[in-house]
Formats: sequence, structure tokens, C-alpha cells
Amino acid sequence: MKNFVRNIFLFSIFALINYIILIIIWGDYAHIFLKKNLNYRIGSYGHMFSRIKEIPNLKEIDILFLGSSHSYRGFDTRIFKKNNLNTFNLGSSGQTPLQTEILMKRYLKIIKPKLIIFEVYPNTFSIDGVESTLDIIANDEIDFEIIKLAFKQNNIKIYNTLIYGLYYDILNKKKDFKEEIIKGDNKYIKGGFVEKKLKYFKNIEYNKKNRNFKQKQFDAFENIISLFKKGNYKFIFVQAPLTKSIYNSYRNNVFFDKKMEKYGFYFNFNEIIFLNDSLHFYNSDHLNQNGVEIFNLKLIEILNKQKII
Amino acid sequence: MLFNSIEFAIFLPLIFILYWFVANKNLKFQNILLVVASYVFYGWWDWRFLSLIIFSSAVDYFVGLGLKKEENESKRKLLLWTSIFVNLGFLGVFKYFNFFAESFADAFMLFGQKIEANRLNIILPVGISFYTFQTLSYSIDVYKRKLEPTKDIISFFAFVSFFPQLVAGPIERATNLLPQFYKKRNFSYDKAVDGMRQILWGLFKKIVIADNCAIYANDIFNNYTDYSGSTLVIGAIFFAFQIYGDFSGYSDIAIGTSRLFGFNLKQNFAFPYFSRDIAEFWRRWHISLSTWFRDYLYIPMGGSRGGTWMKIRNTFIIFIVSGFWHGANWTFIIWGALNAIYFLPLMLMKKNRKNINTVAEGKFFPSIKEFFNMAITFALTVFAWIFFRAENLSHAMDYISIIFSKSLFSFPNLNIIKRSLFVILITLIFLFVEWTQRNKKHGLEIKNIKFPRIFKWSFYSFIIFLIFMFTQTNETPFIYFQF
Repeated sequence: MKNFVRNIFLFSIFALINYIILIIIWGDYAHIFLKKNLNYRIGSYGHMFSRIKEIPNLKEIDILFLGSSHSYRGFDTRIFKKNNLNTFNLGSSGQTPLQTEILMKRYLKIIKPKLIIFEVYPNTFSIDGVESTLDIIANDEIDFEIIKLAFKQNNIKIYNTLIYGLYYDILNKKKDFKEEIIKGDNKYIKGGFVEKKLKYFKNIEYNKKNRNFKQKQFDAFENIISLFKKGNYKFIFVQAPLTKSIYNSYRNNVFFDKKMEKYGFYFNFNEIIFLNDSLHFYNSDHLNQNGVEIFNLKLIEILNKQKII
Repeated sequence: MLFNSIEFAIFLPLIFILYWFVANKNLKFQNILLVVASYVFYGWWDWRFLSLIIFSSAVDYFVGLGLKKEENESKRKLLLWTSIFVNLGFLGVFKYFNFFAESFADAFMLFGQKIEANRLNIILPVGISFYTFQTLSYSIDVYKRKLEPTKDIISFFAFVSFFPQLVAGPIERATNLLPQFYKKRNFSYDKAVDGMRQILWGLFKKIVIADNCAIYANDIFNNYTDYSGSTLVIGAIFFAFQIYGDFSGYSDIAIGTSRLFGFNLKQNFAFPYFSRDIAEFWRRWHISLSTWFRDYLYIPMGGSRGGTWMKIRNTFIIFIVSGFWHGANWTFIIWGALNAIYFLPLMLMKKNRKNINTVAEGKFFPSIKEFFNMAITFALTVFAWIFFRAENLSHAMDYISIIFSKSLFSFPNLNIIKRSLFVILITLIFLFVEWTQRNKKHGLEIKNIKFPRIFKWSFYSFIIFLIFMFTQTNETPFIYFQF
């Protein structure tokens, strides 16, 4: 019996070391279709790498945008610049409050914005945010906070990617990487916006559904607000427009609006501007450049009118 | 609690330590620990249904005692029927009530009478088909005086609820498992290590093979109208490996876990996809259920004795009942009947026991004839799985009609092939390992083979790595839980 327990213990250590070695070998040499639970992609979809690289050189930022792809595809920094507003967009693919909290702990004091516009896409409150954590691991640095988040999310894909990311960071293998400005239909614009080649959405009907919100996302959201308040940062919440077909398919929009209103100034642009599903979107929940212009100009108008900035 | 969950990864070592280090000096204490652990294991899913297991166990325990005392044959029969009524009654209400209610309503519709089927809004208790059959076999064996009834209530309750095989088998016979609770179990290093290997292989089958094949099988079966006949054939093959990996994987984990506690369970799968005919397939697939039906249904009905019509009748009954055991759906009944049709010619020509030994025994490669026979048997099995997997009969028939269309000769969907390349590759490697191990009890048994420890441990580590690299990130219950 003692022999058995001892060997199980020794094997566990052996297997753990082997596992780490195999992750590194697999990450370096295996074909992508063999990496189901290892997703380390520097310069992945969403240009997070380029965005993070800009941060140390930012000066006098009037507005910082946060949120999901609705943020980095929805707030065009060039339009704000034309209106004398210096902005930076720190949105990233599938970014949920859990990841926003980490990014704010890292960068809020460096960016020091006059105003924070937090894009609150309700779906990000109903997912785990695994893809966004992977995005941060690969395109930003790994610190204690991200390791803590990995345990909180408890997902094997995050653990594997974290092990590989640590190896990558320790050997400083990221230093020579340069991200392409144009990737397919997407063009990275200085300041964090990603412009999509003009396309139009072909309307489809969606079945009615509810979003199942996760308490841990609201907890992280409240932590972020505490951070803002602690640093005396001004902030507002914005829900970017979706196509009517997808927006109206959700039954609990009102519930979410009421919840957000409790946290501070909140603008749901699905109720403020009326866009055409086919003309102003390239897919069911992302604006095309025509839609972005209308949305951004209306937002600037509100900011000025209400003297928010 | 699922075998492939973090909860079980904590639960198993904890019970193992308590069992061998705390309760090891007292057999009764060990058995009580097993009962408590089994109830926790089951109650993790839904504690309310524990009452069914406890009631079922109590009925059969007292029926057993009654059968021992009673000499009057009609009273003995009454006691046996009490056990059958309670066990099959639970099964009937929870599993089959809605099916019969709807089938009667449908039958009346055929005669122009419209009646509303009164459905029961209940969920199927996990494992009910397994533990009711296990405890029923005890009552039948005691009634037939093949087994001495137990007075030890703890041992009996532990036998019915033994957590490794409680929810999805193997369906153990009281003659094999119950006496193991009476005797002191001694820890055997070799047995425990081999048990660990079997658990590892079971996890690999479930997580790497079954769950990954399921992605493509589900995609193809759920969107079958979008694909060609050749792609639907691939979908059915994916399902064949999904169900094999899922169910035999569960059995491997169950048997391996039992060995850690000093118990020996019967082998439930013996490399069935290397069978040379359907009769051999059924001697190698879900052995504990096939032999249960053979001993408690087929043989009492007369078995293969008697005239041709009786043989045909008995064969159809046993296969159809076996199909119906899997679920209250016409698809399972057709699946059973189809297997009976496959089996009958062999039985009538007295060729059903032609292939008793292991294929290509003593050789590495099979002969051309053996290979051809295995391929035909596999094809027949895959065809029958279509009914097993389909949502309903029209789904199955539509699926089959697309397979037998011109599109069968087109190239399968390239996107599916490209996406599933890894799964195809790993399934081929898996088949190779199983082929080399086909005369063993499980895929990782290395009895009488000496390898350096570093080599063995590296190999096991690699399997663990594959499990974590290819596991699904959401929870994937075992298919047989629904039966």
C-alpha cells in the first residue's frame, strides 16, 4: 500500500513535469488542428497586440473606451479627433468585465483619461470570457492577476495557454513580433479602432431568447466601478447599437437597462438612434463604417450637450 | 457525479484513503463507508432519487430473506413477483409511462379517435435501468436457489449501490459481486496499478475518442439534410466510435475503480468492433446486459431449444426487449429488431458460435477473410446505429434514404473532413492499440510485459496530456446515463 501511494505521488510529479514539457513542444511544433486546448496567438483577431504596444506612448487622453469588439469596432478614434477629442480604445474581442478589471488594474494609472466610456454589451455579462483571457495572455504580459483570473475561470484551455505563455515570456520570444496593420478586411487605426471594409448585413430572423447573466461578471463590474471611483475618474456606460432583429430577439433588455442605470450614467443607443439593419451593420451585432459615423457623432453630441466632457 | 469531473477527482482519492487507511481494520466499517460514499456519489446528481435505490434495496433484501424461510412454492412465487413488480414498476413509471401513453394515443388516432395522452412530467432517475436489473437478478437467483440470500443488510445495500458501477453498469450478478462484500479485501499492488491503467484508458476513450467524435456525429445527424450520402456514412461511423468510446470507457473506469477497492467486476466490452459476425459482436458488446437477458429471459423462454419458430420468436423477443431497455422510443425497438434480423441466419444455420476465439489469434495481421468479415460486421453495426442515434423513426428513415441516393458516390464534405482530421487520426491510432491488445482485458493491460518504468510513465503521461489537450471545456455526461 505504501509503495502504491509513494509511486502515485512520484508519478504525479513526473506527469506534471512531462505535461509542461509537452505543452511547450506541442505549442511550438504541432499543427493548429492538434491544438484544441492550447490557443496562444500573438497578433490574433482584434489587434490587441498593437493596442497594448501603444499604451506607454499615450499622452493626455480625453476619453478611454473599454469593452468588447463593439468598442474597438464601434468607437472610431479619428471621428473623435476631428472633434478635438484625444481618445484611446482599449476594447478587445469578447472582453468581459473580468478582463476589463485586469486591464484597468494594469493601465488606468498610466492612461489617466479624463473620461471613461465603458461599452456594456449585455452578452459579455452572460459568458465566461475565456477567449478574451487567452487574448490577454498572448498579447499582453502575464502577471499574478491573470494567474488569479485563470483559477477563477478554471478552464483547461486557459491553463494550457498560460503555461505556454509563461515559457514564451520567460524566453522573451515576443520581442521581435510585428503585427500587420491590415489583416484581411480589417485595418488597425492608431488609437485602437479597427476599421472593417464596408459591408452590409443580410437580415435574418432570430428566435426569442433570454440572456443568462453571470453574477461573477457583475461582481467584476462593481470592482471596476470601485477602481474608477477610487481614482476619481469620470465614467459613463454605453450600449452600442445592434441590429433590430437581434436586439429585439432578447427578452431581458429592460432588465439589463435598469441594472446599468443603477451604476451611473447609462446610454442605450438601441433606444437613442434608429439605424437600418441592412445599411448600417455588417453583421447582426457590429456596425459598418456608415453606422459607426452616425453612432459616434450622436455620442459626441450627447457628451457636449450634457457637458459630460 | 461524473467520472470525468473535478468532483470525482477529489472524491475518489478521499474515499480510497478512508477505505484503506481508516476503515481497513473492520470489514463492516469498510462496507458502511462504501454505502455512504455510493449515496453521496449518486445524491450529487439528485439526492431525492436516493429514496428509490433505498426502497428497491430494502424490498429485495426482505424478499431474499422471505424466500429463504418460505417453502410453499406459491408463496415463494408471490415474493418473487413482489420484487419484479416493484423494480419493473419503478422502471415502467419513470422510463416507459409517457411512451405507452403516447403510443396508445397515436394508435387511437389511426382509427380516427383523437385522445389526449396524459404525460407525466417526471425526469428519468440516472442509472435506474442498471441497478433495478442488478437487484432483480438477486431475487431471481435466490428464488431459483442458485444463491443463498444474505442476512447482512449493509453488504446487500453496498452491492446494490456500489458507486463505480451504480449509474451505468456493468450490471453485476449477485453471485459474483455480493460474496466479495462478505470477505476481507486485501490491497493488491498489481491489481491497483492495473486498475489505474484501466481508468486512464477509460478516460482516454471517453474524453478523447467519444467526446471528439460526438462533435462531428452531432453536427452531421442534426443537419443531415445539408450533407451528401457519403458524409452521412461518415457521420454514422463517428457515432459508432462515440458510443463505443463513451460506454466502454465508462465500463473501464468502473472496473478500474472497483479494483482500487479490491473488487473484481466482470468484463463488459471485449473489443467488439473486431468481431467477425453479429453473434460474436453480441458476445463482446455490453456483455453484462446480453448475458442478463440470456439468463433471465431467453433461457427461461426456451432459448434455442424447440422448433424453428420458437427460436425465431425468442430471438426477436430478446433483441427487441434489449432495444427497448435502452430507451422508450421506437428507434430502439427497430434497432433491436434489426440486430435480430442480422443474428437469425447465423442461428438458424447453427453458425452463431463459429467465432468463439479472438480474431487472428497468435498472429498480428488477420487473414483476408477475417478482415472482410470484420468489415461486413462493422458495416452492419454502423447501419443499425443510425436507428439508435436518430431522434425518431422518420429522422432515421430520411437519413438512410439520403445515404442510398446518388450522393453516396460523391466526395464527403471537405470542411467536415478537414476539421475532423485529428479525430480520424487519433481514432485510427486508438484502433491500432486496441487491435494489439485484443486478447487482453483492456487496452492498457501490460501483464507479462516488462518495460522500463521511465518508458511506461512517459507513455501514461502522454495519454494524460492528450486527455487534457482534447477534452471538451463544457460538461459531457455519458450517453448511457440516459438509459
